[in-house]
Amino acid sequence: MSFEKFIKQELTGWMVAEGEHADIVLSTRIRLARNLQDYPFPISATQEDANDVSKALNQAVETMQDDHFTSITMEDLSPLERQILVEKHLVSPQLINPKKHGSVLLSEDETISIMVNEEDHIRIQCIYPGFQIDQAYEQADQVDSELEVNLNYAFDETFGYLTSCPSNTGTGMRASVMMHLPALTITKQIERIIPAISRLGMVVRGSYGEGSEALGNIYQISNQITLGKSEEEILKDLESISKRLIAHEKKSRELLLAKSEVHLENRLFRSLGTLTHSRILPSAEAAKCLSDVRLGIDLGIIENIDMTILNELMIFMQPGFLQQYAKEELTSDKRDILRAQLFRDRLGIERSAAQEKDNDSL
Amino acid sequence: MLCENCKERPATVVFKQETSNDVIERHLCDKCAFYSQTFSFSPDQEPLSIQQFLAHWLGGSELFPEQKADERLPDGPKCPSCGLTFHRFLDIGKFGCAVCYETFKGQLPRVFAKLHNGHTQHRGKIPVSLNERFALKRKLEDIRTKMQEAVENERFEEAATLRDEANQVKQQLSDGGDDQHVI
Ligand SMILES: [Zn+2]
Ligand SMILES: [Zn+2]
Repeated sequence: MSFEKFIKQELTGWMVAEGEHADIVLSTRIRLARNLQDYPFPISATQEDANDVSKALNQAVETMQDDHFTSITMEDLSPLERQILVEKHLVSPQLINPKKHGSVLLSEDETISIMVNEEDHIRIQCIYPGFQIDQAYEQADQVDSELEVNLNYAFDETFGYLTSCPSNTGTGMRASVMMHLPALTITKQIERIIPAISRLGMVVRGSYGEGSEALGNIYQISNQITLGKSEEEILKDLESISKRLIAHEKKSRELLLAKSEVHLENRLFRSLGTLTHSRILPSAEAAKCLSDVRLGIDLGIIENIDMTILNELMIFMQPGFLQQYAKEELTSDKRDILRAQLFRDRLGIERSAAQEKDNDSL
Repeated sequence: MLCENCKERPATVVFKQETSNDVIERHLCDKCAFYSQTFSFSPDQEPLSIQQFLAHWLGGSELFPEQKADERLPDGPKCPSCGLTFHRFLDIGKFGCAVCYETFKGQLPRVFAKLHNGHTQHRGKIPVSLNERFALKRKLEDIRTKMQEAVENERFEEAATLRDEANQVKQQLSDGGDDQHVI
């Protein structure tokens, strides 16, 4: 099977480069943590408790009107299949812990995933491409309201939604925006911005891939405070900080371009060369070059590459997907070789050259 | 000193702005500093993990100020439902069940204030079923006020009707309001 066919099959809604500010914002995610009143939280639950919670949730989901959900029990999946769910951002790494009895309910288009028996009984998650805070929240809120009709949530008039971790108590909501901030990183401004944002009740984290390797210049901005602010206030704060960051990133890009156009071009085109001509491509290098090529496209320096393909590559270059495609476990060396092939294939430069040759010989 | 810009929060950052012939100092709070054009303060705060945070906090023995530092900390209250002690809660940074919140109610405002920028009370979404309970409680209060008036004006028949109505609402409230969609 070709990479293209494989990727088309595995593609999930949020990977498409669309939505507002899709050049800088990759995706928007809302997560709501909920628990059932009458069962201990997963941290102290027995297998039986976990089964009961899972059953209650499956029943509640069946009565929902607009969406059809598929229930997937983690224990029924191979380790590789579980990893794929994590790499697609549909479940958290905690959910796939084999000692737990986690499962996930996935909507057909995979924009909604409901994790069951993670740290909390229920974690409703909605991911949208680009900058779509309000749309993602509306969706999550609606799922929550529909579930609540049939479930007895743990809720307190003072503390709000009761969660396992006190850092989620209140709204139980974590809203986050995933952003590509290469210019703020190159100019080292991000180092000053991160602590400033943390003092506003928001957190900035790098997004990590295999092991501790950071995926190139991708940051996740999310709310840290869940108590004492309404959902609307939290979302408004996140929105204004995100917009602020987008504006700063844009300005830094202009500045970089004005100050050292040739040096910047050199760097970006070298990265493109690495992605399109390597035979061995480690994930850290791939992530760095991918970031550069994205920046090159945004600045109009690199042309004729579709941003959606770059979003796909970011996901499909991960070890789980590479092995899924190869249909076997691969050593890290073999993965680096297959990754190089994936990039050459998807960025299409060598392929179109090869096609031309084929056409000539016909 | 208050922030020169919003005059609401304390000033924590000094900004030096260069103009054509002078350097102006501005004293701003974190928020205003962030929203002003330049980023020019030094990073000193890294977000801590919740376990690190609670462990660190416990290490400061701030919770039991009457305790001598070398004495072992008491376990504090214990959750009757899941058995978690408050001491253990600080260790693992997680509640074991919904009842823990009730059990540790006395200690929690301080925990939450530290974690959520001083906030201790939920503001935001409330489950619809709970909204119904709120509505029932308000309805009950209304009925009781009217009953009082009726009694004072010696309209005893009306008062009796209102009393029956109040009992009905009380019944709905004690049923948990689960299957009853009142209003
Ligand atoms: Zn201010
Ligand atoms: Zn408990």
